[in-house]
Amino acid sequence: MPGPVCPLPVDGLSRFMPMYLLLDGQGTILSVGPTLARVLDGIPPPGARFEDLFEVRSPGGAMTVAEVLDRAGQRFRLMPRNRSKIGLRGVGMRLDEGRLILLNLSFGIDLIAAVRKFSLSDADFAATDLAMELLYLAEANAAVTRELRALNLRLEGARMAAEEEALTDPLTGLRNRRAADLLLERLCAAKAGFGLLHIDLDYFKKVNDSLGHAAGDHVLATVSRILADQIRADDCAVRIGGDEFVVIIVNRTEERVLRTIAERIIARVSDPIDAQGSEVRISASVGIARSVDLTPCEPARILAEADRALYAAKRAGRGRAVLLAPQGN
Amino acid sequence: MDALMLRSLQGYIIDTFGTSVWQAVCRRAALPGETFEPMLRYASGTADRVARHAAEVLGRPVETIWEDMGTYLVTNPDNDGVRRLLRFGGMGFVDFLHSLEEMPGRARLALPDLEMPEVELRELGPDRFEIRCRSEPGGMTSVLVGILTAMADDYGVLCLIEPGPLGTIQVKILDCAHSAARRFDLARPDH
Repeated sequence: MPGPVCPLPVDGLSRFMPMYLLLDGQGTILSVGPTLARVLDGIPPPGARFEDLFEVRSPGGAMTVAEVLDRAGQRFRLMPRNRSKIGLRGVGMRLDEGRLILLNLSFGIDLIAAVRKFSLSDADFAATDLAMELLYLAEANAAVTRELRALNLRLEGARMAAEEEALTDPLTGLRNRRAADLLLERLCAAKAGFGLLHIDLDYFKKVNDSLGHAAGDHVLATVSRILADQIRADDCAVRIGGDEFVVIIVNRTEERVLRTIAERIIARVSDPIDAQGSEVRISASVGIARSVDLTPCEPARILAEADRALYAAKRAGRGRAVLLAPQGN
Repeated sequence: MDALMLRSLQGYIIDTFGTSVWQAVCRRAALPGETFEPMLRYASGTADRVARHAAEVLGRPVETIWEDMGTYLVTNPDNDGVRRLLRFGGMGFVDFLHSLEEMPGRARLALPDLEMPEVELRELGPDRFEIRCRSEPGGMTSVLVGILTAMADDYGVLCLIEPGPLGTIQVKILDCAHSAARRFDLARPDH
């Protein structure tokens, strides 16, 4: 045989290859490395054979270690028969003119599961093994992924808050004009039936002029709470500017229902409001429009229709709700 | 690196001194918000600047704050991750010290664009080492002192860790088996 021969005692084998398996030429196990012994639930009993301990996963059809070496060429895959379900891969060769067979096994991708299952420590791996680096990398990656996921959640939360803010009237907490436009677009596009109340406060300017803006803001906040109380979750109460509000009632187009809601709002708004010690009395005029009276129903058209009804309500003496007959359809 | 240091500083100050102290630091540093994201980028120099304000608010030297933060990173019971990643570096404390030079390479495996400090270890004697840490932000050397102190404890090693001349760290090991090392399972405990 060309080249130097390296006589390596068994304790040296354990150090270089803690998962070695040494067999005689007939496939009887002579000794195993310390880490492989843990995988096999202990050192195999004397006389144990390769095929008693391992199921060969590749090369296909091989059962004995001789068949493995004859068919595999370089690499083979094994599964211990002890139901640990930890796949092993290995290389092997015949030594001493076929009187000995040396295999060296490793965990491959099952490393992390094996470490957990057999409580392995760094002393169970050869100093040159990259197992530590692989475990380190898996853990570092998990940490990075966790951070990124947390970052995504925080950014998504911030985005939702910003979106909410962009659709909210800061003074009253009701929806704003932009939110109303988006909802009307959506309802009209879906050809959904809905009612729209255009509300204008009566005598509000007087409050602002005589008691100041703080009292005026308080009145607006009170009215907003009344509107929010009168609608269901799917409906939408909007402050579209100054003392003007719009309420969109989704899926209701009956005149009786819309009129009832409008009159309830007027009644509640007409109750005296305590604004910083002064009792304030205002009222509201409401113009009602319905999607079913317009074909096609478009946001601008239904807003104009409600505005026309509101104007009629104001002219008729305020504190009332008006629904006009549809105009020349 | 600034992002990781800022996030750590935020966690350390909030956990140790309370949210109101952190808010005071942020106000003093005229920061636009009160939260740093470890995975985002911040202008280089931000970490050192915020730490200087923290030093003024807390009335203690900035080096002490960075050192204590380094210790907090390793010992904080709510987050065992840093300690575990560091423990993968070596079986014993000396082995761990030698792994410090690999730190940039290890970090790049997980975060390829992270600029980690260059660490150089010189063995002055069997139990004496000199560590040189070249990095932006400047506080990194102090953070490393805090981390080393906590890791020595983790490995159960008694040693003297002090800032030395020219930004070096001097490590003198007095007793390699001073106390029991904290347990370290290769498998992550939480699943």
